[in-house]
Amino acid sequence: MSRIRRLDEGTINRIAAGEVIERPASVVKELVENAIDAGAGRIDVFIDDAGRRLIAVEDDGIGMSPEELPIAVLRHATSKLVDDDLVRITTLGFRGEALPSIGSIARLSLRSRPQGAAEGFELLVDGDEVGALRPTAMRPGSRVEVRDLFYRTPARLKFLRSDRAETQAIVEVLKRLALAHPDIAFRLVADDRQLLDYEARLAVDGGAQEDRVRAILGQAAFTNMLRVEAARAEVRLLAFAGLPTAARGDGRAQFFMVNRRPVQDRLLKSTLRAAYSDLLFHDRQPVAALFLDVEASALDVNVHPTKAEIRFRAPDDVRGLIIGSLKRALAEHGHRADTALGQDAARLFRPGGLGRGWRGPGPAGPGLMEAALAYQAPLPGTADSHVNGDLAEAGFAPGSAPRQETNPEGEDGARPGTASSADPWPLGAARAQLHENFIVAQTREGLIIVDQHAAHERIVYERLKAGLHAGGVARQALLLPEIVELEGGEQSVLIGRADELAELGLVLEGFGEGAVIVREVPAILGQSSVAALVRDLAHDLEEMGQAVRLKEAIDKVAGTMACHGSVRAGRRLTIEEMNALLRRMETTPFTGQCIHGRPTYISLGLAEIERLFGRRA
Amino acid sequence: MKITIERAALLRSLSHIQNVVERRTTIPILSNVKLEARDENLALTATDLDLTLMANEKADVIDPGVTTVSAHTFFDIVRKFPGEAAITLEQAAGSTEMTVEAGRSVFHLPCLAADEFPAMSLEELDVRFEILPADLARLIDKTRFAISTEETRYYLNGIHMHAAGSGPTGTLRGVATDGHRLSRVEVPLPPGAENMPPIIVPRKTVGEIRKLIETAGDVPVQVAVSSARIQFGCGPDMLVSRLIDGTFPDYERVIPMSNERVASLPAKVFAEAVDRVATISTEKARAVKLAFDTGKITISAVSADAGRAVEELDAEYPDGALEIGFNARYILDMMSQIDGGEVRIEMANAAAPTVVRDPADSGALYVLMPMRV
Repeated sequence: MSRIRRLDEGTINRIAAGEVIERPASVVKELVENAIDAGAGRIDVFIDDAGRRLIAVEDDGIGMSPEELPIAVLRHATSKLVDDDLVRITTLGFRGEALPSIGSIARLSLRSRPQGAAEGFELLVDGDEVGALRPTAMRPGSRVEVRDLFYRTPARLKFLRSDRAETQAIVEVLKRLALAHPDIAFRLVADDRQLLDYEARLAVDGGAQEDRVRAILGQAAFTNMLRVEAARAEVRLLAFAGLPTAARGDGRAQFFMVNRRPVQDRLLKSTLRAAYSDLLFHDRQPVAALFLDVEASALDVNVHPTKAEIRFRAPDDVRGLIIGSLKRALAEHGHRADTALGQDAARLFRPGGLGRGWRGPGPAGPGLMEAALAYQAPLPGTADSHVNGDLAEAGFAPGSAPRQETNPEGEDGARPGTASSADPWPLGAARAQLHENFIVAQTREGLIIVDQHAAHERIVYERLKAGLHAGGVARQALLLPEIVELEGGEQSVLIGRADELAELGLVLEGFGEGAVIVREVPAILGQSSVAALVRDLAHDLEEMGQAVRLKEAIDKVAGTMACHGSVRAGRRLTIEEMNALLRRMETTPFTGQCIHGRPTYISLGLAEIERLFGRRA
Repeated sequence: MKITIERAALLRSLSHIQNVVERRTTIPILSNVKLEARDENLALTATDLDLTLMANEKADVIDPGVTTVSAHTFFDIVRKFPGEAAITLEQAAGSTEMTVEAGRSVFHLPCLAADEFPAMSLEELDVRFEILPADLARLIDKTRFAISTEETRYYLNGIHMHAAGSGPTGTLRGVATDGHRLSRVEVPLPPGAENMPPIIVPRKTVGEIRKLIETAGDVPVQVAVSSARIQFGCGPDMLVSRLIDGTFPDYERVIPMSNERVASLPAKVFAEAVDRVATISTEKARAVKLAFDTGKITISAVSADAGRAVEELDAEYPDGALEIGFNARYILDMMSQIDGGEVRIEMANAAAPTVVRDPADSGALYVLMPMRV
């Protein structure tokens, strides 16, 4: 029979390490955060063997005095909580767990020289053994080295993934931190190869932020982003939102920064998704970087050991701000399609021998079909594929922001969202109709090809939707009111929003414990299952605070009607009809994509066309 | 097995049979019709496991026997034979094919063994009565439009039938509702039906028995019921169906008994006007607004796209102005059941259930829930 006893310090640290340190990337995150909190202007990260053998983080921050060094490796020792105030946390770290946790599972070397001090000191920690202070020669700042990570917890070592995957995780962590701190220069060197190099931008304003976003996401993705700024009460938002046609298959290109802290928050993810609702095809994910500034006391970061999750004091404000401003921006630029589509198309037009497009005589229009396929594939030259490729093949060329060189337009520094706003008729004049479905129009900067069915579908849909929501939703009263049993707190969530739901056509009241009684439903939904709708809604309201499913259900009916009510492929249009369609596309929101999220048109710049004919390099 | 049978007779049975057989099924034998020849009779049986139909036709049985063939293929072949053809069906002992022969056409159809065919349940059905085909047809016709198609409330996916009262004043009731509207119809209680349990007859069964009555003439329909199963004997045909296992809602509770604002108006004129005005409400909900005022009713519809429509009718209505919205489709469904020249609409307010009656038919009553527009 074992007795209850207090765990010794070493065991406590190893348990804490289990929470905080999952993989080498966690170490990088903790150490880089420390460096950022130390006021560094430059942070260099070196890894060997994907961080298994060595992780070293070097900064030029304020450094630690020889007196502080031994305390730093004690559990719950931190310099970051002023007056032990957990309510207003302004630093990335505050728990005082990182160094002792790392020290308990690896060989740790701490070297630091405070700014202005004559020399630096080094402290070695090996498991539970803390060595003696030794003077050392170094530049002002700190260097933390972690060797033989997990050597004391071999079980964890076994769970590490391939070198490539672990390196990729470190790259992702650094990108997120770098994105939040454009005023700090970041460098990542893996086995003597430089993987990342971001220059510091001095002013911490939008411009610096924009440069960093471009450096991290790549020029190609950046040109297809809208810059959005908005503020409400205690929240400020700066967002770089990708056009819906530039969406990707996964959410890896979504970055959320709250008070310059990278987070992986479910609320923010679902909010972003809601802002793009009905603009994206199935499970495609938008590319976006969101920077939120929230009054420190309006935020709780002490929710999760690695601080990936956060809680807002006023989540509704945050959601409303993000959804409202992004929707507005996307609507304003609704007819902009991804320039990459045009570039894909241009590649396919290339004459034989060079490109993959021309297959000799065959069915008409193979190029366009392939352009559509290419659209589904990941964008070329984006940050992710770039790094992956570099890891796979040797010979990475060092240099700053190498992505910019791949920009075919040569438009370095072009600000997003300004490409077409000055032209009164950005979609130009219709010239011809091809294969009874594709309208070719000449624009000021080149030509565009429009899918007439997809474009008209969106126009009809937006009109129906506006009509539906403007006139108030007609509600069918129920002869047999339906009682829906719910789980947990779902009842109070629904009741709390009853007024809002009534506006959307759903009238319900509480019914005993944990159930609601539905008295009226949106008439347009006909005889669909009320219980299923209400349960989905309760879930939505809890998850993201919006009655997404109800609007979606109504809009879906509108979508089906739009599809049937619009010009089909295969109808011959006159030039007047085509021009009318183009003008309607310019004034209707979201006409860059059809309601299934496919592009409605692609544009091909004059420069690209000229290049095809060798008139331009 | 070898028989000869007239095309017309075979076609009549098969047209009922092929309705029962589901086109897509995971159990191959369920796509087939069972053919059983003996005593100058051909019995054709099909089932979807919930519903079983057995039809009988006179035939010249040369060699008795039993087999099964694909119901839809067999039906299509028989349908395409010329009018007066005599059809010979033959399956040699031990063969896995049946030949269908008429004139100079010969078809060979693959068979599945008849003993794989699900047996008809022979459980005792304790309540038995006879009902006039016209009464049964009325119970079905005036209620089936209100049957719900939404499957989570499965107990609304059929017609609820039960005995109300007893003796000469007793009635047999049919009720259907989809939660938006309700229809209740009564016919005189057939002797023997007093002890019938309340049942819910599924929609598909309702449809099939309605078609059988059509061809059966005036011969009373033999009904046998238990709480789980119903059987209809209709001339030479027999239909056995499982009933919906559920409790129909207490519908009496939602039928208002004292709606005080009453309008009477010509049924046909009203239905046509609603249909005309509803042209404007293009969206799926098809909302129309009825504005009652002394001596008249104004029907209107508005659509963001299609414009507006207004039509005024004379009506007998003394009870003060009232505006109420409805789904035009619901009004039209119901109006098509009004046999007399007049319709009587009884309302309380714009949010409460509205009762519609056919003064020419006191046994029918309809309830309609308004729409908020």
